[in-house]
Amino acid sequence: MQKNDQADKFIIPIGPQHPALKEPGHFEFTVDGEIVTGATIRLGYVHRGIEKATESRTWVQNLYLLERVCGICSHIHATAYCLGVERLAGLSVPPRAQAIRELVVELERIHSHMLWLGVAAHEAGFDTLFMYSWRDRETVMDILEGLTGNRVHYSANILGGVKIDVDAEQTKTILQGVDFLEKRTHHYLDVVTTDSAFVQRTAGIAVMSKAVAEHFGAVGPTARASGVTQDIRIDAPYLAYEDFPVEIVLDTAGDLKARFVVRVQELFQSYQVIRAILDKLPAGELAVTMPRRIKENETISRVEAPRGELFYYLKSNGTDKPERIKIRTPSICNFGTVPALAAGHQLADMPMILAGIDPCFSCNDRMVTIHRPADDSQTWTWEMLRQYGISYYREKER
Amino acid sequence: MIGEILKGMSITFKTMFQPPTTVSYPEVKKPVAERFRGRHELKRYDNGLERCIGCSLCAAACPADAIFVEAAENTDEERYSPGERYAKVYEINMLRCIFCGYCEDACPTEAVVLEKNYELASYSRESLIYTKDMLLVPHPADIQKTA
Ligand code: SF4
Ligand code: SF4
Repeated sequence: MQKNDQADKFIIPIGPQHPALKEPGHFEFTVDGEIVTGATIRLGYVHRGIEKATESRTWVQNLYLLERVCGICSHIHATAYCLGVERLAGLSVPPRAQAIRELVVELERIHSHMLWLGVAAHEAGFDTLFMYSWRDRETVMDILEGLTGNRVHYSANILGGVKIDVDAEQTKTILQGVDFLEKRTHHYLDVVTTDSAFVQRTAGIAVMSKAVAEHFGAVGPTARASGVTQDIRIDAPYLAYEDFPVEIVLDTAGDLKARFVVRVQELFQSYQVIRAILDKLPAGELAVTMPRRIKENETISRVEAPRGELFYYLKSNGTDKPERIKIRTPSICNFGTVPALAAGHQLADMPMILAGIDPCFSCNDRMVTIHRPADDSQTWTWEMLRQYGISYYREKER
Repeated sequence: MIGEILKGMSITFKTMFQPPTTVSYPEVKKPVAERFRGRHELKRYDNGLERCIGCSLCAAACPADAIFVEAAENTDEERYSPGERYAKVYEINMLRCIFCGYCEDACPTEAVVLEKNYELASYSRESLIYTKDMLLVPHPADIQKTA
């Protein structure tokens, strides 16, 4: 991700450990005075080798491992994996289980978007909004703890269904919480659109046109704030999104303010869909039995994570362990837009621009293999490298 | 601008009279949810016999390989559980455990249950391997003695 045109200019290196965000990443900003003229991002400090680790674990064990790819959107990872594995194994999951999964997914989206609202406000120096939004976020955290047993890694899914049920009492607390959050969300929408000190930091900053968003392959709310009509929940409904649909939230402004508005508006969609699910929760079983082994096959699974499209590729080989699992998280798609948007802005805007894509560092650090044609001058075999090394040192000796 | 500052200050002013949201942990503890998954306990029947029959199903189910069970035969002189076998060694490595609750679901006798304790920090790795003595709930007779 390079966009450093003027290498002779002053470069400010930031990170990998830095106070702006809580996760490691290295940034180099070329500046002309206070104005950023180019930016380079280096990722990969929190690569954990999860994909490789899945190959030595059983299908069931991987569910828990993959749930831990991300600490914020953990359930959506487990769900994407479950949907894929269930397709591989040819299971049909009971409608009640799918609806409960969708319920937890949407609750998780609320928690993720509110977390982001707080973080982004904090980057803008608006710590009051940060504190208030995180205080209110506790409501949804408590709901999730009550529903699933844990605040972060819910373990609500099992292969073939869900582990938890929703009873009348749970329904009541969820609805109460959602009502409270809806009231607060109206307030936050008001704040992010009208508070002039805050709007000065967001309106017209980091404007991304629809063409740029599509060029860099942006996904999720970041893309929708630039008018890209893409939401997997609508484009390719999974879980119970056919019965309990959401409406797409779009904004065409493409600036930071639009990203705030889109994410806050999406909260209302989540509230609406949670109410719909709780109102008409299908009756029936919670899970079907999952076979231990899966015959040789491959599949993909796409879901809409809070940050955008999450993509899983799964390959089975007839044993109880997967042959290959490939994960493509939404943050990696959105990161490309940051260097493009940075140029021309104040250095002080950089944390906000970065936070605007709602980056998640650890979940996007995966290995990328680039396939090049064999006769490409940049592809070197081991033998060629060795010969090059030998002749290089011979030259030097002389 | 002035109007907005006043609007903001009015929120601050109103919030001043609300009780604080912060919980002064560890003096005050927030109750956990009914379904909370904390530290495990090995349960007993009302008559004091251990529920665990040493079948190792929990260990097989555990995605993190955190449980180790070694079973032994019950004899009439030394009876721990109602069945033929009991768990002679039962260890959970709390450093490995991810508190998923799969062991609880796998257990045929509802012996291992994730309870409400979440204060598991320790100074050494060794002390985080919980043995059967630590996990097993006290015998009902012992509770009466101390009470
Ligand atoms: S809670 Fe999960 S990780 Fe912990 S011991 Fe039980 S099955 Fe293993
Ligand atoms: S705790 Fe339950 S599953 Fe584990 S060995 Fe004992 S009886 Fe078997």
